[in-house]
Amino acid sequence: MNAEVPGESRFVPAIRVRHLWHRYGAQDVLRDVNLEVRPGEIFGFIGPNGAGKTTTIRVMATLLEPMAGRVEVDGFDVSVDPERVRKVIGYMPDHAGVYDRITIREYLEFFAQAFGVPDLAVVDAALELTDLRNLQDRLVAALSKGMKQRLGLARILLHDPKILILDEPASDLDPRARIEIRDLLLELREIGKTIFLSSHILTELSDVCTSVGILERGRLLVAGPIAEISERLAEQRARDAYGVDRAVAPPAAEGTAEAEGGPAVGAEPSEPAGPSVTAGGAPVPGSARRRLKLRVLGDSRAVVPLLEGGAGIGVVEALPAGQLAVEYVGDDRFVADVVRYLVGRGVGVVAVEPERNELERIFLEVTKGELQ
Amino acid sequence: MTSGVAPGGGAPASVGEGHVRSAAPRRLNPIWIREMQQAARFTMTPILLAVLTSAMALLLCAIGGIASVSTAPAEVGHVLYQVFFSLAYAVVTWIAPAIAASTVASERGGRTWEALLLTGMTPTEVARGKFLAALTYIGAYVVMLAPVGALPFLFGGVTAVEVVMAFVLLGVFAVLGVAFGLSVSARFTSSAAAVVVTLLVSSNLSIAGYLGLGVGISFGVHELWSGVTAGAPVWMPTAYVRGDFGLEYVAILVFAPLVFTLVPAWFLYEGTIASMASPSEDRSSGLRRWLMVCTPLVTLACVAALPVAPSDEFAAAALATTVLWTFLTFAVFVVAGEPLGPSRRVRVRWDREGATRLGRYLGPGLMNASTMVLGLGFGALLTVGVAGVVLELWRGGPSAEVDALRVALFTAYVASFFGFQVGFGAWCRSRAGGASLPRFLQAGALLVAFLGPWVLMAIAGLLTRGADGSYVVASPSPVYAAYMMELVASTRPERESLLLAGVVAALGWLVLGVALLGAAGRRASKVVAEHAAAIARLEAALEAEDAAAREEVEVVPSAPGVRGPRELA
Ligand SMILES: Nc1ncnc2c1ncn2[C@@H]1O[C@H](COP(=O)(O)OP(=O)(O)OP(=O)(O)O)[C@@H](O)[C@H]1O
Ligand SMILES: [Mg+2]
Repeated sequence: MNAEVPGESRFVPAIRVRHLWHRYGAQDVLRDVNLEVRPGEIFGFIGPNGAGKTTTIRVMATLLEPMAGRVEVDGFDVSVDPERVRKVIGYMPDHAGVYDRITIREYLEFFAQAFGVPDLAVVDAALELTDLRNLQDRLVAALSKGMKQRLGLARILLHDPKILILDEPASDLDPRARIEIRDLLLELREIGKTIFLSSHILTELSDVCTSVGILERGRLLVAGPIAEISERLAEQRARDAYGVDRAVAPPAAEGTAEAEGGPAVGAEPSEPAGPSVTAGGAPVPGSARRRLKLRVLGDSRAVVPLLEGGAGIGVVEALPAGQLAVEYVGDDRFVADVVRYLVGRGVGVVAVEPERNELERIFLEVTKGELQ
Repeated sequence: MTSGVAPGGGAPASVGEGHVRSAAPRRLNPIWIREMQQAARFTMTPILLAVLTSAMALLLCAIGGIASVSTAPAEVGHVLYQVFFSLAYAVVTWIAPAIAASTVASERGGRTWEALLLTGMTPTEVARGKFLAALTYIGAYVVMLAPVGALPFLFGGVTAVEVVMAFVLLGVFAVLGVAFGLSVSARFTSSAAAVVVTLLVSSNLSIAGYLGLGVGISFGVHELWSGVTAGAPVWMPTAYVRGDFGLEYVAILVFAPLVFTLVPAWFLYEGTIASMASPSEDRSSGLRRWLMVCTPLVTLACVAALPVAPSDEFAAAALATTVLWTFLTFAVFVVAGEPLGPSRRVRVRWDREGATRLGRYLGPGLMNASTMVLGLGFGALLTVGVAGVVLELWRGGPSAEVDALRVALFTAYVASFFGFQVGFGAWCRSRAGGASLPRFLQAGALLVAFLGPWVLMAIAGLLTRGADGSYVVASPSPVYAAYMMELVASTRPERESLLLAGVVAALGWLVLGVALLGAAGRRASKVVAEHAAAIARLEAALEAEDAAAREEVEVVPSAPGVRGPRELA
């Protein structure tokens, strides 16, 4: 099951969801979801309310039996070997409860024992990691939501799972705690954990995630590294604009069940579900149109003519307070060239900001705002 | 960073971790420890305990004080003994189930249940922890009451052994009460609902048990052993001391209590674990093993009760058959929750572990369960029936043959009707999506079958102006089996036809049951086959995708000396 195919770099995906369907009553909540998360990734799972994120996550966490399809976590089928899956995952639900009349330390010691961890020193490590050491003698029921969230994180680290599955880990956190959690996630990735998290807050995800998947009405619309998705969408737009190659379904094709991303059975059976979706995080060839924000000393309107019409430069727009929005096609090197060019022309460049909300743009482009 | 949260993410997942848990025996059940920690912080507990203990002490002293004015101390001691242990019985049978009822349900309601499941603790471990916790809690009550319980002993009239035995019995009731509360709790998501349901059932059972098994049986036992006070509810602990050792002693004080304790306790245990496990797990084997052992046990108890019955042997046999039938009907209700076939998980497990045919037969599957209940039930009813008939003939007497016929007819009718119950239950289950509807329908069918024909008969009687022939209309009701016993000895002209009607009705039930069972079997195998086909389709599709993916990899030029997966295969 865990065997690797010799002679090539095939790996056991941390999470592999294939043709997952789920139904509550007569309502299809998940329709043919396919996705793959590689070891070491931070995978962000986004979607409107009711899209089916929690449902997908609960299937991965062995708490919900998939109605059709196959879900493998670390190579183990969740519906056949839930015990083994439970050993390798740490799942933090969106709304968890805690026990009354018990302190943080007792709470964690209880779970450590329940996990069968031989050495209770892990409790200290988990307290340390989540900055709860000073509060360890507080009663858990009296903690604030954010603190409970941290406690939840501490709990799922006790048995040293390979894969963390977090359902909206930052939903109740204040801005500071959010940043701390983000840093914590990066730290956890450093020590080799794979992280799968769902969230509504796109900027937060784009900061930490190596890949994202967008779910709407039970369908996975796109999945992969943000830059790559952005790239694909740009290509798509170009194709749509020139009216060529309609054979490949556009992302928002009306009525088709398989709106790209993880290809569905039937539509493109030749394409493997996973790898094509999240193929690495390689730098993207600069064909996508991007936006850049510059802040310069003095009047930004004076700078517009310098840039306009330049190779690879699109619309240049002067904004108040010395700011400029520049549309361009190219990679980071191109940005450096632009800055060098401007500095060479005596423009005082104060700040260069790449477009932060690329994920937001993608999200708005692929979703239709429908709820289920 | 220390050991636990170490870089690299733990050991490779494939190294038989299934055994790690069992290899390292845990010192104490963590759930138990946690519940005790929580209980220790609950400031109400000591107050409640103190109030309860002082109230009991005051009550006993008051009764003792008033009674000792006019009565001999030994008499007072015995009365106090009865009063104290009656109250203690009430405390244990009401509080123990209620305490246990909130435990699992509160984890579900408080959203801590899933975190608990994900730790990898098995339902068995969870159930044990919860059980121990509730038992410890109720144990605290009993221990606090113990000094008060010794009070009657000081007055005399009761021996130390009698007091100790009464406490032992209290412990048994506590165990049963906790097991019952836990089994209800395991089925609920709201602890309030679980507590209400538990209290409703346990309080009624408690009162019925007190009056029936306590006060009621004490009269019979007094006949047997005059040392045991008639009408004293707490007769049993005294009987251990006052009874004369013999066959009856073993039957009443050893065998019967064992059966009465083991059968429900084991059922509650298996039921609790099954309700806590996920629906894809094998939730059937445990309950089926229970059925396989306990049906013969109950049958044996019923047969053993026949010879000691005082008079009217045929009535005793009918009573034994009815008790057995009640047990078997319960089994039918249990089986009504059976899935149509084993889940993929169960199947894969069986293949991996090389499960035996018997193991698979005991596993999930409606038809397995139904045929097993049917077989066990027929066997049990046949045993009781044959025992009854043989006993009648062996005892002889003028009415021996008539009585034997009565027993035979009664048991045969009951067995036929039981055949219908099993068939109907299986058929309902094979058509319904869940387990509650079949149970509901089964209960409805029982009600209709029992009462319907009599209602019709009443109507028919009105129409025919009370002709005796209208009894024929009632023949499909199982109650008619009792009427048939009366008919056998009657000299009415319609005797023959009425008996024939009963036999035909019984046969009708049996045929209907077999037909329904057959229909259920066809339906179940169709559904199971469809399920298997869907899995096979998915598997084929996934396999095809994998193959396509491998092919794609192969197209990519590989480094020299690196062979593609095709060549390896
Ligand atoms: N237990 C349930 N019974 C019936 N329907 C349910 C159940 N749980 C979820 N659903 C439905 O399934 C759909 C998906 O729910 P899910 O919780 O997976 O969405 P989500 O993406 O996590 O949403 P959110 O962002 O609000 O957390 C919703 O339409 C919801 O109404
Ligand atoms: Mg959700």
